[in-house]
Amino acid sequence: MTAPGAAGSAGDWWGTEDVCVRFGDTLALDHVWFRAEPGRVSAVVGGDGAGRTTLLRCLAGALAPASGRVRRPGPMATGYLSAGSGIYPDLSVTENLAFRAAAYQIPPQEARERGGELLARAGLDRVGDRLGGQLSGGMRQKLGVIAAMLHRPALLVLDEPTTGVDPVSRADLWWLIARAAAGGAAVVLATSYLDEAERAHDVLVLDAGMVLASGTAEQIVAAMPGTLTVAGARPAGEAGRRAWRREGRWRVWDPTAGDTAGTIAPDLQDAVTVAILARELALVPAGGESR
Amino acid sequence: MWAMIVKEFRQLRRDRRTLAMMIVMPVVLLIVFGYAASFDVTTIPTVAAGPEAGQVTHLVGEPFHVVATEPSQGRAWAEQQLRDGNAAVAVVTGDGRPQVLIDGSQLFTAKAAIAELSAAAAKAAVHGAAAGGQATPPGSQPQPVVTVLYNPDLNTSDIMIPGLAGVVLVFVGTIITSLGVVRERQSGTLEQLAVMPLKPRDVFLGKIGPYFAVAALDLAIVVSIGVGLFGVPFRGSLAVFALGALLFLFVTLGIGVLISSVSENQGQAIQLAFMVTLPQILLSGLIFPLSSIAIGVRWISYLLPLTYFNEISRGVMLRAEPLSSLWQPFLFLALLGAIVFTLASLRFRAYLAPAAPRGGTGSPRSAQKVTSAASAPSGSAG
Amino acid sequence: MTELPVQAVAVTRAFGHFVAVDQVDLQVRPGEVVGLLGANGAGKTTLIRLLLGLLRPSGGEVRLFGEPPSRRTRARIGYVPQGLGLYDDLTVDENLAFSAVAFGEGPGAAALPAPLRRYGGTVVGALPLGVQRTAAFAEALAHRPDLLVLDEPTSGVDPLARARLWETVAGAAAAGAGVLVTTHYMDEAGECDRLVVMAAGRVVARGTAREITGDARISVVEAESWAAAFGALEAAGLPVALVGRTLRVPGAPPDVVRRALGDVPAAVASAPATLEERFFELTLSSARTEAPA
Repeated sequence: MTAPGAAGSAGDWWGTEDVCVRFGDTLALDHVWFRAEPGRVSAVVGGDGAGRTTLLRCLAGALAPASGRVRRPGPMATGYLSAGSGIYPDLSVTENLAFRAAAYQIPPQEARERGGELLARAGLDRVGDRLGGQLSGGMRQKLGVIAAMLHRPALLVLDEPTTGVDPVSRADLWWLIARAAAGGAAVVLATSYLDEAERAHDVLVLDAGMVLASGTAEQIVAAMPGTLTVAGARPAGEAGRRAWRREGRWRVWDPTAGDTAGTIAPDLQDAVTVAILARELALVPAGGESR
Repeated sequence: MWAMIVKEFRQLRRDRRTLAMMIVMPVVLLIVFGYAASFDVTTIPTVAAGPEAGQVTHLVGEPFHVVATEPSQGRAWAEQQLRDGNAAVAVVTGDGRPQVLIDGSQLFTAKAAIAELSAAAAKAAVHGAAAGGQATPPGSQPQPVVTVLYNPDLNTSDIMIPGLAGVVLVFVGTIITSLGVVRERQSGTLEQLAVMPLKPRDVFLGKIGPYFAVAALDLAIVVSIGVGLFGVPFRGSLAVFALGALLFLFVTLGIGVLISSVSENQGQAIQLAFMVTLPQILLSGLIFPLSSIAIGVRWISYLLPLTYFNEISRGVMLRAEPLSSLWQPFLFLALLGAIVFTLASLRFRAYLAPAAPRGGTGSPRSAQKVTSAASAPSGSAG
Repeated sequence: MTELPVQAVAVTRAFGHFVAVDQVDLQVRPGEVVGLLGANGAGKTTLIRLLLGLLRPSGGEVRLFGEPPSRRTRARIGYVPQGLGLYDDLTVDENLAFSAVAFGEGPGAAALPAPLRRYGGTVVGALPLGVQRTAAFAEALAHRPDLLVLDEPTSGVDPLARARLWETVAGAAAAGAGVLVTTHYMDEAGECDRLVVMAAGRVVARGTAREITGDARISVVEAESWAAAFGALEAAGLPVALVGRTLRVPGAPPDVVRRALGDVPAAVASAPATLEERFFELTLSSARTEAPA
């Protein structure tokens, strides 16, 4: 199975097969299977420490797993946005892109045109001479994504591109992401925003290095075990451990797929919360401390 | 206010590097100034040549310490001994008055030697006057002809500026380089470099290349100004000097990269660089002559690279010392350079991508199989 | 309590020629959670700093508990900045002890909530983000403040942890504190009793999420090849957002979209706008009415 130069050929996919990653004693990724296809946006969700960054680093080639296989197209065909934007604070916008272009061997003319077009569309065309460190968070992230996709990679790996970014910049970022996917790239993005996960074609839910759920948003919701009801206050006793607050009311999860009278239809946020909660309850028996 | 004090103490207790600096530094300085900082010269290595060489040993007392006598050799040999740094004073006996040659590039030793000889001459004159007013009473030695070689005016700048050349290289090599490499870690761009199709070797060399060039430029400027403005002589081979500087740069740049590989931010890097540089400036013979540093502390000087570069730069600039007699410092620097530079590039590689896949870059790669064993790759938390 | 935790009237703050906050009215009543939404540069951070007394207004008035911001009012405020405000190199216990003394409580007054107890002796820098946020909250609430100001409190945290943080916030509000929260995450807008939307230094909308979204509608495009539809709409200069496999076009009615698509096969329908899309619209239109700098 060789990687093609152009993205989008049938049968290609990038991802991991049964990958484990260890840092000292901790298992950061625990037998993770993940698949990203060209022309699609895949979201990886989970809290801090869930393993999202570790998974993305494996995909980008910054980390080798202890076991399992990583399918990736190689450095020339991979674009990566690390958690810290990867932009040099003491180089200007133009200089940052010039460095990337040189590193990926993009002809200068083509780099200028493509860079100019992407910058303009992302609202960064008038700050070409501004230093990376002087850009606002949203602008720096946009620049980081542009730098990552400048060489038209077959696999675009973005670590939390929109965390902490204002909604206007976030719209611009999603335009860039859509543009990359429209061009045939497989886009993998880590996010803690579930509304963004819903915008992706498919979602991978991680918690403590393990896959809790994967598939399209609809599939994940459909696969949620048990039922949800809504209460005005946190229930007393054991049921209280299966409840969480959302928008002023309380969601109570009943793991037994009992009768569906009075239940609500869960959304992706509910399904993900249930998955995390289920794992937590399985780890901590009744009477133990909550997280 | 008390809460603030308690908090600061707690934070300080955990900041090991600052603690080390605050406690270790004064102790180091104390040792240095107690045992090392001295301009007093206690031993003056001396050689004697000519037919009466053997007698010189008996005639000269402390602090002169005769290390070689060659009755068959003459002035040329004596000068060579001074040039090669084997002695600070040479006595050449033969017809007529004995000649005393003093190495002016060892400033304090030379001054001490002159002081001793003046004192001896004064004593002989007094002796002669007491013996009846004759200038050279029978039985006494004729007055020697004293010549100061290499730095006849005993200028301080002549010996400081070659030393300064070394300091410049230490500064740029160690301090500036460590900052430049740590900056990559601080701005979070290191991971990007790990993922790009760049060979680690290219990244490493590309990263330190500019500092190499800047250090070389700085060196050229310092030497030019020294020679042009302060009249410091440059008597020896430019090629030998350049080679010595090159080897020394490998050492200091390597140390700079090593420092950055154990520092998380520029503050830490500067602290460590400072702790590594200060002893070199104080103990390498730059300010305080090596021979006046107490032996118990002097062994430290012999571990410091700057000590050896000082030998090279002073020897070449002031005494036209050839490569053949400088082989010791060159060998030391070459070995140290090789070790430090290799270590630095290995650490930089690991630093760039703690568990990155090995192998070629730039070529499309398909499935990559890494089977687990009992061992697990170590690395920092992702 | 007759004095409101926060009463800002026509507050303005200029830096030279640049007006960061322009005639803003804002109130926070005891027991309510007010969400402050705005793009970067909209003036949220400046407004927060004005409310906390870190900046003086150029015009208008800020009153906390009926008086101008002072050290006395500061003692009644719990503030969690974006950077959490914890010392990375101190343990949780040490952080809380320091803060307790700073706010005039005895150091023993800081008792950790149950979920944090096992982290008490751990240095903050070594803790996962969710735990750090919980600790920062605990510190801000330790002196039982009457006003809680939270800047992006749940950024980067998983949904369950987020629900628990909001539970803490709701608890503080139920105990009578007024809460002011800034957030970029539209989904959290529903956690607030009401919202204030800022753009370019001004308040451009107020009310609940439903009130703000109102009747705004957008066009939804479903196409066999979303990439082709994307390209066509782009070429026509329409703003397009990708959601899953459908495209959403704010600010353009279905017939305009159909014309732009040309002969790309697609189904176009009208749909209600989300809060985020309405917010986007508000921000853009306020930017357009601004005179160029």
